[in-house]
Amino acid sequence: MDSLALFLARFQFGMTAFFHFLYPPLTIGLGTLLVITEGVYVFSKNQEYLRITRFFAKLFAINFVVGVATGIVMEFQFGTNWSQYSSYVGAIFGAPLAIEGLFAFFMESIFVGVMLLGWNRLSAKAHWVSTIFVALGSTLSAVWILVANSWMQSPAGYKIGSNGIPKMTNFWHVVFNPYFPSEFIHVIAAAWEYSAFFMAGVAAWFLIKNNKDMIMRKALKIAVISGVIVACFQIVLGDISAREVVKYQPTKLAMMEAQWHSERYAPETLFAIPNNQTESDGPQIGIPGMLSMLAYMNPAAKVMGFNKSISYINHKYNLKLTAAMFPPVLIVFWSFHIMMYFGFYFALIMLIALYFLFKGKLYDSPKMLKVLWFSTFLPLIAIEFGWFTTEIGRQPFTVYGLLTTVKSVSPNVSALDVGLSTLMFTLIYITLASFAIFLFKRELKERAEGKDELAGESAPAAASNNKEVLS
Amino acid sequence: MNLNILWFILVAVLILGWSVMDGFDYGVGGLLNFIAKNDKEKRYVMNAIGPVWEGNQVWLILGGGAVFAAFPLVYASIFSGFYLAMMLVVWLIIFRAVSFEFRSKVENAGWRNFWDADITVTGLGISLLLGVAIANVLMGVPLNQDHVDYQSLFSLLNIFGLVGGLISLSMFLMHGSAYLIMKTEGEVQQRARVFAKRFAIAYIVFTLLFLLISPIFAHRLLSNSFGIIGDIVPVIMLIGGIGVILTAGSSSDIKPFAYSIVGILGAVASLGVGIFPDIVPSSINPEYSLNIYNSASNHLTLLVMLIATLIGLPLVLIYAFYAYKKFGLKVKMDDSSY
Repeated sequence: MDSLALFLARFQFGMTAFFHFLYPPLTIGLGTLLVITEGVYVFSKNQEYLRITRFFAKLFAINFVVGVATGIVMEFQFGTNWSQYSSYVGAIFGAPLAIEGLFAFFMESIFVGVMLLGWNRLSAKAHWVSTIFVALGSTLSAVWILVANSWMQSPAGYKIGSNGIPKMTNFWHVVFNPYFPSEFIHVIAAAWEYSAFFMAGVAAWFLIKNNKDMIMRKALKIAVISGVIVACFQIVLGDISAREVVKYQPTKLAMMEAQWHSERYAPETLFAIPNNQTESDGPQIGIPGMLSMLAYMNPAAKVMGFNKSISYINHKYNLKLTAAMFPPVLIVFWSFHIMMYFGFYFALIMLIALYFLFKGKLYDSPKMLKVLWFSTFLPLIAIEFGWFTTEIGRQPFTVYGLLTTVKSVSPNVSALDVGLSTLMFTLIYITLASFAIFLFKRELKERAEGKDELAGESAPAAASNNKEVLS
Repeated sequence: MNLNILWFILVAVLILGWSVMDGFDYGVGGLLNFIAKNDKEKRYVMNAIGPVWEGNQVWLILGGGAVFAAFPLVYASIFSGFYLAMMLVVWLIIFRAVSFEFRSKVENAGWRNFWDADITVTGLGISLLLGVAIANVLMGVPLNQDHVDYQSLFSLLNIFGLVGGLISLSMFLMHGSAYLIMKTEGEVQQRARVFAKRFAIAYIVFTLLFLLISPIFAHRLLSNSFGIIGDIVPVIMLIGGIGVILTAGSSSDIKPFAYSIVGILGAVASLGVGIFPDIVPSSINPEYSLNIYNSASNHLTLLVMLIATLIGLPLVLIYAFYAYKKFGLKVKMDDSSY
């Protein structure tokens, strides 16, 4: 096996997953927020909520197409770059991917067309139902994609067949594998959290320019109320997810917490510069006993160290892994901690915003509005670092305990092929992200300059009717 | 009938679903710059597929997922073996997926010309590469005893592959034209009638050429598993093509599209009949071939996926029917259109 080809394949997967994952959280979360705003309109007949829905639906549309475009490759990449992985787990891993298409992605994609282009075709209620289907479809997509991912984290419902390849023995055990519930809720909450910040940030931007913008005042209010609920819950949900790591992936926990040696009263390390060579944390700040407490609800509980965790899984899965096969602890430690610190920041910001809202000062405080505008995309950083923690922390495995990354790669794809395609993907994704940012900005600017939210997808001057075309 | 045979048929049904439901999107895309003369006409043509192309595209995702789940070894060896060709298809799909939305957002001639070219090139490219890949599979792929295929992108570009590509290209352009006859009125529709006829003729010519040269390139087509019945299946392709030729100029708006579907059905059926029970024949040794048994998942996976498909596919058809119904038979532009 060519180690350069392996490195490039890993880089390509990480890079394409990174770019793809910038978009679906907004599709899921903003979709849900649109269900709320349009629902308020349908039942109150208050046009302002229709305007909120129509405006954010335009941003939703831009985000949606890039999300789909960058998502297609994810499905094909398992076959192109990871053919050994695909033949090994296809019988189990392929099922949720196909079911995702059948029960989720179709619903989402068919109704997104109805929703975005059907404002004048459907009754208000019927249109709202389409929006609900879009939000439901994208959430169900997350269900099945996370079934697939969580199965890689904590495989269940299988038996190794006579050919050495896992066979599905119980479909529902595959679906409800130990990681799935906590991972799903954590990811969905992250999507909602980001979308609340997104809506709050965009609304804040308009209010900084004009704080009499009644439509954006309403949007900000909805965003802050939903944001504060999700951001506070997320801290609890994150803790629940981490507890699953304690149970099923001791090596990941040791890397997340830079826990080199097994000990009782293990500290929750807040700052460290972990070094794999010296197996030490360098300058370190920690809260004694806190990790034992968080992991086992008992400050005296013993937490497994890095080396002990490796010998533990070697014994459990009958393997011969060495510490050198694992990723630098520094990366996993900081990915996890950056995500965690952002999680606390989000809850704090939303609580302060809620306080301002109750005091009636939210719309008139340029400082608070600026903080919200500044925070618009920060949840993406937390989302990506959370993903790094999960995926890099799972290394050296693709399927924890069953299959290593080294044995997953396509044997017949050369470093040149992967290098070329990686280069192309990088260029394409940077281009797409730039286009998306350009179009986002443009929508904001056009509205700030007075474009009516109820005007359609196309620029107003281009709007034409059939007669013009057919004459 | 066992589950493996059933899944072979189901995958064929998904390919048919994709070709019929998404094929005209690529065809319409490929025709865009030729059938529409100005921005208004282009928007008119684009809105024929505007509300539905996004949903139609999922057939491809579903097909990929279904092959992954049902025949993982086929998924693994074809996608890694046709590496750069697959990547090319993926890039084309990516650039098509964003094109309609991006184009409509900015009213600037340069911007719109760029995306028009993009829509045309991606539509033509995907239509062509599909047939190239399929013809190469029919010809046999150099799979070794581990079912791994080591070959370069350029080895896919041979006469047989090229003719296969021309079949799928003309088929999707015919299908796109027939779809536009159904969805449009006036001048655009008149042009679509002319295009439908031309591409149907091309489809028939390339199909006959393919059949003529297949004894040289793909012996297996001469000795299919169904004997004489299998030999006459390609006639369905010709019936569809001739039907389009005869009805394209008539007053009917729907018949050409119906015949075009028959043509596609013939192509997918011919492919299935020609390759069964193999899925990827090996050109090195027939024993290294991937067939519906040695490449399939275990019984439970096939059963679970079958149940899922039987429940899910009717739901998909209901959603799609609803979407098509809401937007009516003929394109009506309004300010929510692209």
